Amino acid sequence: MPVIRDIPISLKTKEVLRRVGFREQASLRPEIKSLIDELLAGAKNDFLLEPAIAYGIYPLTEMNRGRLPLEDNGVIHDPLLPSLLSGADEFAVVICTIGHRLEKQVTNYFKQDEPLRGVLLDGIGSAAVDLLAEEACKLMTERASSRGYQAGSPISPGMQGLPITEQRWLFKMAPAQKIGVGLTSSGVMSPLKSTSMIIGIGPQMKTWTRAEVCAQCGLRKTCPYRKGVKGEKQKRGKISKKSPIVHPC
Amino acid sequence: MAKDLVNTLADLKEKEALGIVQERLSAGEDPLRILDDARRGVEIVGKRFSDEEYFIPDLVYSGEILKQITDMVKPKLTKAAEVKRLGKVIVGTVAGDIHDIGKDIVVFMLDVNGFEVFDLGIDVPVQKFVDKIKETGSGVVGLSGFLTLAFQSMKDTVGAIEKAGLRNEVKIMIGGGQIDDQVRSFTGADAYGKDAMDAVKLAKGWIGG
Repeated sequence: MPVIRDIPISLKTKEVLRRVGFREQASLRPEIKSLIDELLAGAKNDFLLEPAIAYGIYPLTEMNRGRLPLEDNGVIHDPLLPSLLSGADEFAVVICTIGHRLEKQVTNYFKQDEPLRGVLLDGIGSAAVDLLAEEACKLMTERASSRGYQAGSPISPGMQGLPITEQRWLFKMAPAQKIGVGLTSSGVMSPLKSTSMIIGIGPQMKTWTRAEVCAQCGLRKTCPYRKGVKGEKQKRGKISKKSPIVHPC
Repeated sequence: MAKDLVNTLADLKEKEALGIVQERLSAGEDPLRILDDARRGVEIVGKRFSDEEYFIPDLVYSGEILKQITDMVKPKLTKAAEVKRLGKVIVGTVAGDIHDIGKDIVVFMLDVNGFEVFDLGIDVPVQKFVDKIKETGSGVVGLSGFLTLAFQSMKDTVGAIEKAGLRNEVKIMIGGGQIDDQVRSFTGADAYGKDAMDAVKLAKGWIGG
């Protein structure tokens, strides 16, 4: 099962701002903008980001009634899986992380009475995971298209229909330990700045837009981080520039 | 002058606000009045945050300025006039959840707004909340949790506090990603907060300010 490291992560202030709940009607204070720039530079210079992707690809042999049987007699339960993986011949299990270092620095900032730095650096970490997840999706798309296939949009434990308790099965199917990602007994990933996904691969896969992902989320009414654009046209079908593969949050 | 500090802090002009505080201290003004003005400034920041004019980093920034002002004012206070804490609050991320950033912001904002805060950390077993209430006599408990799985832990924690015979002695607030009144009702908590300023408002409403 492959592991990929040395993935370039280049973040823009805008991406970080979204992750710290910046509101369109708010004005960005120059002090905060310059602090974000400083922290972005620091994250790079101090190697706080250690992006890594681990994945495994499996044939999709049988799936019905929301059950995805696995090779070791395990089963992933998700009532939405049949529709999400409809048309898939195989599926990828992907785990991404930016490592522990950034989180430790966030904790240090809070301990040192510098919560503003902590909050902004945490936002940088979240934005970095977002970007890493998108890179992972691109990788799966490239891999699929080289064989004349398509990669569908990802689904992650915690999204509607796929309980976080199913996370344990994903961890059996991708070498998470090789990239330093562990699971708590309740299914939460550590480092927190990690994400896991299932991606269907087949001749013609469904994808969904950012707005569609947000529309399915339990936080859709209140989430300050949502990517979904108000009024965005909902699209399904082939991957295009207008309906990209997206990862939640 | 008082208005200057209130508005300067509300506008998050750090250097100017600290300059005003220094001037007022040098002029021999009552440090408690200065602190009161600073807190009023932060209250305006909270209002602007609720109105979506400010965002989370602005809120935290105002807290950092208030903390600096408190540090400047403290040495000038006589023992009799020492800043009294509004009350004690216990905060922790419930068992099974390890998300800490939201909880840390709440702890910080409660602290700078005058509460004595006991931060129990993350993945906190229910008994630890019970023990801390007994130890500190805190009147408010804040349960944080980002994941839906935290709801059951919150309910269990409220249940354990009740079983220990402490439920009538504390007010319990919950907060986190997906919390709403339905979740509050499920957990048996007294109230829920959408953000750190809600937590401050709730705590003030219950035990101080």
